[in-house]
Amino acid sequence: MVNESPDNILETIKLYTYYPIRSGNPFGKRRSVRAVDDVSIKVPRGKTLAVVGESGCGKTTLARTLLLLTPSTTGDVIFNGVNILKTKMNPKKLYREMQMVFQDPDSSLDPRVKIKDSIAEPLRLLEGMNKEKVADRVAELLTAVGLSAEHGDRLPAHLSGGQKQRVAIARAIAPQPKLVILDEPTSALDASVQAQILTLLIDLQRKFNLTYILITHNIAVAEYLSDIMAVMYAGNLVEYGPTNEIISKPRHPYTITLISSAPIPNPWKRNLLGIEIKGEVPSAINPPSGCKFHPRCPYAEKTCTDLNPSLDNISANHYVACHFVEKTA
Amino acid sequence: MSDQPILSIKDLTISYETKSGVVLAVDRTNLDIGQNTFIAVVGESGCGKSTLALSIIGLLSMPPAKINSGIMEYKSVNLLTLDPNQRRGYRGTEIAMIFQEPLTSLNPVYRVGDQIAEAVMVREMRKGSNSAPSTETDVMQKVYSTKATYLPSRIPKQRRGLTKLLRNEIIQALKLVRIADAEQVIERYPFELSGGMRQRIMIAMALAEKPALLIADEPTTALDVTTQAQVLKLMKELMNEVRTSILLITHDLAVASQVADRIIVMYAGDVVEDANVYDLFSEPLHPYSKGLLACIPSGSKDKTTLNPIPGTVPDLRHPPTGCKFASRCPHVMKICHEKPPPLIENKSNHRVACFLYGE
Repeated sequence: MVNESPDNILETIKLYTYYPIRSGNPFGKRRSVRAVDDVSIKVPRGKTLAVVGESGCGKTTLARTLLLLTPSTTGDVIFNGVNILKTKMNPKKLYREMQMVFQDPDSSLDPRVKIKDSIAEPLRLLEGMNKEKVADRVAELLTAVGLSAEHGDRLPAHLSGGQKQRVAIARAIAPQPKLVILDEPTSALDASVQAQILTLLIDLQRKFNLTYILITHNIAVAEYLSDIMAVMYAGNLVEYGPTNEIISKPRHPYTITLISSAPIPNPWKRNLLGIEIKGEVPSAINPPSGCKFHPRCPYAEKTCTDLNPSLDNISANHYVACHFVEKTA
Repeated sequence: MSDQPILSIKDLTISYETKSGVVLAVDRTNLDIGQNTFIAVVGESGCGKSTLALSIIGLLSMPPAKINSGIMEYKSVNLLTLDPNQRRGYRGTEIAMIFQEPLTSLNPVYRVGDQIAEAVMVREMRKGSNSAPSTETDVMQKVYSTKATYLPSRIPKQRRGLTKLLRNEIIQALKLVRIADAEQVIERYPFELSGGMRQRIMIAMALAEKPALLIADEPTTALDVTTQAQVLKLMKELMNEVRTSILLITHDLAVASQVADRIIVMYAGDVVEDANVYDLFSEPLHPYSKGLLACIPSGSKDKTTLNPIPGTVPDLRHPPTGCKFASRCPHVMKICHEKPPPLIENKSNHRVACFLYGE
């Protein structure tokens, strides 16, 4: 899966991001948190890739690595045909094409800057637009995300959580990026507001032909929004393929656990009360040997404790990293 | 469900005095909680669900909060008329509570075992107060081995040691919440444990006295989905083992549907619908409940479209005179703006506050 194809706006090849841990002993063993550990994904143009997993699985680090906000350890990220980790480039040029929406709009919007100025910032800095043009574009963007021009004169404190997230989205799409990385865009929001934001994201994607990378722990949101899904566990990609295929027939034992533990709004199907889940997410500093899921896996055998399985395809686009994938067939 | 409710709330109104005005957080709420039943209170942030929970356990900080009216009858005692000392007698023993973030509920500088021991200490103190007043030192001597109490406090508590009896009691409490290596866990500090483990310890502490009612305020919101599933399953199992009732406060209708017997939907301080979980999901009556159900993403965007509820929650400093949902309601009528709809029984065990279903 290494060859580059023009259909993919972004591709990572054997990407590793480790965070070194400072230890008190200068002669001690150097340790690191293996946040992203050998991740290769492809993001087709105009589609949505959902990266799902539990806290500490490395999904946010992956997003930050793609945006050059966190330095990678090794590996390649090919964006629009350019290897952005190996080529020296002006980050401004990259951020014109690639933008991010963070989880908590309260911490990503400056509380002392008016909404219209927050949205204008990328226009001025990345596009070098002049004042009149900026004002027009800001008004246009506010309408695009379902706010009125009057909201532009307010401060973030005067908006509700959903409105703030709309502003964050407006700012992200301001420089007309090709790819928007959404890091848990709705997890700080209430159910009714979450539905509004999800609907908005879909509208914007269709209107501006955007590609999304959605980072989320919420399977229902991932299922709703995405075309392709990548499941991460303790830094590794364990399953990768079309969303509907993974949801209807997950093959990696971890994906099965993850999907069956997501509560479904149906009192007649109480999936949560039937399942048996062993153990907890392992430490990323000292992960288990071999397959990192083996201590919790119902199918684990000796091979699993020795050897970390590679991500192999089980059908054209569906990849699973499991030694005994036939057991879940 | 039993006929006789263990807790019966009538006409409860709670407001908060803030700098910018009085916020009506809970508005004339009526609620009955039966024996050994799992009730979920569902609503969005600011709907008053946490205020309601805190008022039941008596942990509302007053001021700013103020209970304007109402009766809260627990085993034929009106909790709202008790003085703080009497109230304390109910907290933990009769009504217990667990919170969203177990790390802030647990004391970071005490070992887990010692924190659970504290609950036992309090119980011993209460027992003592019936006959001869027992001091804290008396209890300490009961709880910790006598000799050890006099050691200087900088010697770690573990060395002072818990008495064997108490230690066994704590280990039993931890075993109840399916903590396998309880012997090791009681020597640990909260930061050494995972989120799921911490919440289990909170549940163990809350259920140690076998309360008749356990209030759980968003107990799994800070947890991962697989851990959430484990904790919810545990709560459901323990409810029957300990024979308690659980009042689960949650924003997540999916979670509520998985575990609750009955669901109470709150909106802007009002109970808008109160129904058996199956009735609510098969036939939601209130437009807000319908809206909430239509907001939950299920399936993919190509097959289903979400129907978000338009607009936002009204400002509770200046609530509208009529139904608070009127401004967002697709079925709004003239009467909705004139007076608030009462919560009436539409069918057996299905109550709704909406003029669509008569007055």
